[in-house]
Amino acid sequence: MWLWFSKLGSPRWFYELSNKWLPWLYVAMMVLMSVGLLWALLFVPEDYQQGQTIRIMYVHVPVASISLACFPLMAVAGTITLVWKMKLADMVAKSVAPIGAWFTGLALASGAIWGDQIWGTWWAWDARLTSLLIQFFLFIGVIALRSAIESQDAAAKACAILAIVGAINVPIIKYSVEWWNTLHQPASDFSMDPVAPNPPEVWVPLLIMISAVYVFFVIALILRTRNEILQRERRSQWVIDLVSREKSV
Amino acid sequence: MPSLQFSSLAEFLQMGGVYTFHIWAVYLLFAIFIGYNLMQPRMARRHFIREQKRRASRDAELASKSRENINS
Repeated sequence: MWLWFSKLGSPRWFYELSNKWLPWLYVAMMVLMSVGLLWALLFVPEDYQQGQTIRIMYVHVPVASISLACFPLMAVAGTITLVWKMKLADMVAKSVAPIGAWFTGLALASGAIWGDQIWGTWWAWDARLTSLLIQFFLFIGVIALRSAIESQDAAAKACAILAIVGAINVPIIKYSVEWWNTLHQPASDFSMDPVAPNPPEVWVPLLIMISAVYVFFVIALILRTRNEILQRERRSQWVIDLVSREKSV
Repeated sequence: MPSLQFSSLAEFLQMGGVYTFHIWAVYLLFAIFIGYNLMQPRMARRHFIREQKRRASRDAELASKSRENINS
């Protein structure tokens, strides 16, 4: 168990393992994304209230729900950094911050565009929207904090603490639609009933899109973490060998 | 069984006509989001390799120069 744990913490081991994973992840993403997008754009029936704009859901919901996974991931990685001083955990924490900012930004933007149609306004100080905007600023804050502190170890600790404290916002975002009855609708239930308001023909493609975007998130995170590994281990022999094997570009 | 919702390409691009811009704007942003987050790490990696190669060749050059100085 401890051997496995210390191996997992080895950046080189992760780098080499991810070489094997990446091709499969790309294939999975391409398949899920093609099926999900074609289904969402071409086959999902018009909504009886919103018409064609129901198709915005197949981008907005996956991106928004995965944006909520980024902060807890960063908090867990931060905890591992603080408790076990695992280098790889801090590299993951650093890599997930800009991705989380992108996810949150797109969730807000696609939500605003959708809101303009269903609510008649781009923005409202609704509980869900406001708490998600705070998450966006928290990601920007973590990125800024890291770049402001010169010492790598001190930056890792400070960011870990901010990530752990900031994670309190995630349950607030998640339950904001239930705690406060404002503009944003609560999550819908999936139903097997074909005449329910949310039948399988609506949510099955949504599940496919959510898995596609999840795989994309994992790929983006692995790619950034690999770069971070190379950067921090650039003086070790295995990276020097790896660089010399690469073709000149 | 799900059935095709549009009978022509023009109808598909129109997306019902009223909110054409809204729908395609979201999908355009989604494409930019996917593209950027896959391309940015690739560019960064290429930049890193180029930088390290340059550094390695400069170090090798300096080492051979200092050997020459010692020999002469």
